[in-house]
Amino acid sequence: MRPPSPSIPEKEFLNSALKQNLRIDGRAPLDMRTPVFIFGPELGWVDCSLGKTRVIAYVDAKMVKPTPERPFEGMITIHSELSPMASSEYETGRPSEEEVTITRMLDKIIKRSDALDKESLCILAGQRVWHIRLSLHFLADAGNMVDCACLAGIVALRHFRRPEVEVIGDDEVIVHSPLERAPMPLAIHHSPFCFTFAFFADPETPPILDPTQLEQRLSAGLMSIALNAQKEICVLQKLGGVPQDTEEVLRLVKVAVAQAKELSNTVDAKLTADWETRKVEVR
Amino acid sequence: MNASRPIQISYDGLARVDGSARFSFGDTVALASVSGPIEVRLAAELPSQATFDVSVRPLNNVPSTESKSQAATIRSAIAPSLILNKNPRTLIQLVIQTLSPTSTPRWTDGLLAAMINSSTLALLNAGSVPMRGVVCAIAIGKTRDGELLVDPEEARVAELIQGGCFAFMVADGAGLESNSTTVWTNWRALERTFDEMGLMSAREAAKDAIKGVYASMKSSIMPERIGHGDDDKMEI
Repeated sequence: MRPPSPSIPEKEFLNSALKQNLRIDGRAPLDMRTPVFIFGPELGWVDCSLGKTRVIAYVDAKMVKPTPERPFEGMITIHSELSPMASSEYETGRPSEEEVTITRMLDKIIKRSDALDKESLCILAGQRVWHIRLSLHFLADAGNMVDCACLAGIVALRHFRRPEVEVIGDDEVIVHSPLERAPMPLAIHHSPFCFTFAFFADPETPPILDPTQLEQRLSAGLMSIALNAQKEICVLQKLGGVPQDTEEVLRLVKVAVAQAKELSNTVDAKLTADWETRKVEVR
Repeated sequence: MNASRPIQISYDGLARVDGSARFSFGDTVALASVSGPIEVRLAAELPSQATFDVSVRPLNNVPSTESKSQAATIRSAIAPSLILNKNPRTLIQLVIQTLSPTSTPRWTDGLLAAMINSSTLALLNAGSVPMRGVVCAIAIGKTRDGELLVDPEEARVAELIQGGCFAFMVADGAGLESNSTTVWTNWRALERTFDEMGLMSAREAAKDAIKGVYASMKSSIMPERIGHGDDDKMEI
């Protein structure tokens, strides 16, 4: 059931605080919450949290017959359903507006931007390819689930290792267990990250990055920019809301570029640190 | 009889729900969240009691028929412990998320036990739903040689010929014939024929094993009190 709208004191407090460039949780307007990653015992399991917003991403792979239109490419499917665990306003089976936005953004950022190389997923042309399944579970909605989901998805894809496959001749395929041969990482062309800005009705209020639940509900428009550390924009989405002039949009793109570089370094460091703990020496 | 795999309990403190808890038997982990009593849809409203709604979400993929079946079993296991007529026309929403992949489709009872235990802990963590008792569950298996295994691990699942999950409601108070009553079981023969004596002996083994689960649950809620001794420990 939809929760009641924020109370008038909350609304007035937030708006007057933002006018003075102050956010309720103490961040600067263009500060993002620090992402925290917890990697699971399995490869491809990651729990990503931005403040109190938490998303768990899980990647698994299985071998299937490819579609006849594309016999040389593997497949990737993304499951991202909101459950009442994220918040009691979401019901299973009935996609809310938020869920549709998240699903479409994930589709554009991860699938359509070709972040994952599909041709490298081919084992035997026309007969066997890898089908990579990314499942995202939203544990808590404390604002900005889109960014958290994209981050969790990309980190999980980079964390995952698929079993090594050997092709002998024309039709024999041997799948090696992870204990025999080290599993292989997926071929990832680039890692896109998503950044969401919230705008408010009052022209004196600056746009803020990574809104919390209250800020998102009281905002008058959202703009999401997905780009990678190489300054390439995958998605720039602004669905209605308060109109912004072009200089403002370009300024926010520059902000997102700086954030993407920083986030990319953080993610690289975290993945390397986790991989160090998993290295097993075979004598 | 062996001990169960190591039990780990933690309270996630998820932001938008009233209570949440994580329970694991070794590598099998389940996370449950409870919201309630909250507003209910008109279609699901009951005039004299709260509506108790359970949904299960597997780790890989979207919920399927198996998840619906698991949700129905968990509901029937937990419902006896809830006093639903104190909050009529409201909703108590329980969502259970599996956090470990299901590698053996033949034996999901360890996961089912973890899901029931995490649900109970989430309800206790929320503290907003009146309860009659605490439902604890454990999986038991019987091997070909007649050995009873408590919470069999994956490596030994292939040896089982009978198995199932037992759920008990543990409480101290008048009206219960013993301290723990069986509220649910799905004991079945995995091979050959069903044997009633096997069910009875497994239930006794489970009753014994449940003490360990209950003790872990209790110590996770009540922290160790330093210097107060054993004077107020409850005996099961």
